[in-house]
Amino acid sequence: MIKENNIKLLFLSLSLLLIILIFFFPFFWIITSSFKSPEEIIATSTTIIPRSFTLEHYNKILFNSDFFIYLKNSLIVSFSSMVISIILSVSAAYGLHKLKFYGNKFVEYSLLVTYAFPGVILLVPIYLLFAKVNLLNSYFALIIVNVLFATPFAVWMLKAFFKLIPNEIEEAAYIDGASRYVVISKIIVPLAAPGIASVSIFCFIISWTEYLFASILISGDDLKTLPVGLAGIVGQYQIDWGFLLSGAVLASLPVILLFVFIGKYFVSGLTEGAVK
Amino acid sequence: MKKNNIEGWLFVSPLVIWISLIILVPIYIAFELSLFNVKIIGTSGKFVGIDNYIKLFGKSKFLNASLNSFYWIIGNAICQTFFAFTIALTINYKFPGKKIMANWIILSFIIPTVVVVVIWKLMLSSSSGVINSVLIDIGLLDEATGFFSSPNKAFISLVLINSWRWSPFLALIILSGLNSINREMYDASKVDGANFVQQFLFITFPNLKSVLFVLGLVGTLLSFNIFDIIWLITKGGPSSATTTLPLLIYETAFTKFRISQAATLSIVTSFLLLLFSIIFIKSMAPKEDD
Repeated sequence: MIKENNIKLLFLSLSLLLIILIFFFPFFWIITSSFKSPEEIIATSTTIIPRSFTLEHYNKILFNSDFFIYLKNSLIVSFSSMVISIILSVSAAYGLHKLKFYGNKFVEYSLLVTYAFPGVILLVPIYLLFAKVNLLNSYFALIIVNVLFATPFAVWMLKAFFKLIPNEIEEAAYIDGASRYVVISKIIVPLAAPGIASVSIFCFIISWTEYLFASILISGDDLKTLPVGLAGIVGQYQIDWGFLLSGAVLASLPVILLFVFIGKYFVSGLTEGAVK
Repeated sequence: MKKNNIEGWLFVSPLVIWISLIILVPIYIAFELSLFNVKIIGTSGKFVGIDNYIKLFGKSKFLNASLNSFYWIIGNAICQTFFAFTIALTINYKFPGKKIMANWIILSFIIPTVVVVVIWKLMLSSSSGVINSVLIDIGLLDEATGFFSSPNKAFISLVLINSWRWSPFLALIILSGLNSINREMYDASKVDGANFVQQFLFITFPNLKSVLFVLGLVGTLLSFNIFDIIWLITKGGPSSATTTLPLLIYETAFTKFRISQAATLSIVTSFLLLLFSIIFIKSMAPKEDD
């Protein structure tokens, strides 16, 4: 018994060490590097503890670049995509969960398979379609695509959360004469609020990180999103690392802040609700 | 339960219409394009029938990209299964700081892919990367190596970077499956003298079937679709070693300006993925009890 516990402890510490090194250290590294002098960032001898400290990179990106324009665009696109995704998926998830109808299994599996079509396969035809209906270079072009990417998984997660709500509560409301609309807005949505919060983060993240379509469907500088702006610096022949790193840290900050406040719902939502 | 056809469809139709419009109309456009020989976007071409399809299968570029995509899916599946299970099984134990780790392990998934690219370009840089200096310091390398300079190294590095991004997210989904397993089964097996390897093989793994089904299906498709990490780091090189089908489609359309060829590629690829999904669902879908 004791021997087996020791082996377990050894495994646990080893994998913890591995996880911290692989999944957390890189973040420590780019955050500290973004405060290093340009010479130290590209120095061949690396030291774990930074030797220099400077705010020049942040100064440059905040006051001497288009950062705030890109930030505004990313916020508008991600927030609108999130709201639309949530409305559409709450409705669909409720329908799939509560109302057995002809073809519900087909809709459910089709939603899963929808993952087969996104990405680059749709890129060329969507570009042509949007060019035809004059949607290129607009926030709405990106919102349409982001909703498509976010909703299949969102519905799948929401359905799991709805299942956790006891049927009796709903039945009781109907007996008291409540309509379907009242039941959804006054009972289902409030009770599934943590679930809806976690699905919202998911939708926001999907839009916040989207690069491919944003890089093709938007060509005007004033409408570019943060990932596209950053990728522009990555692609340069002579990379200004300090500038790039501070940009990377700042581009991650909004999702990280969001995660500080509602991240625990996201994680507990994923780990407790998702598959039941 | 009684069927609720009209109301049910009313609830799902807004989303179903949104998704079908944005998938089916473009697929139709792509199919139409694939029968013509349009080059630059906006110009018109002449009708060539199934010529594009016939030409495609003779192209070594297409075969190369298909093979790369195949290796990409297999490589990612192996790496991500390993990392995701390691993370999930570790977090499933009690240890100080467990809550913080469970909440923040997903950091690599919530940041933009471009930031993932920036992180690993810096860490793996051949001139000043920290990985190179550490490997030299502990004696595994004699001199700094370029992680993206040879075909094999570039491919493996990209698989690892992509797995780094996705594994924590997959780990949380596996964790949800682990949480739904009845604790008493482990206690009972202990009484029967099972060790933790046997517990994993005979209790944990079989009980994760429905989770693994979804991960197997969605994970494969998501891996297949990865574009930005590869494009932003290697542009498909060196010598097309990291050009998967999505990169080939992108290149054909937006750097070579052969729209009809790109559309043909898209149609063939969609068909292959659809075929895979149908076979996967038909053969692996877990039986529902209700």
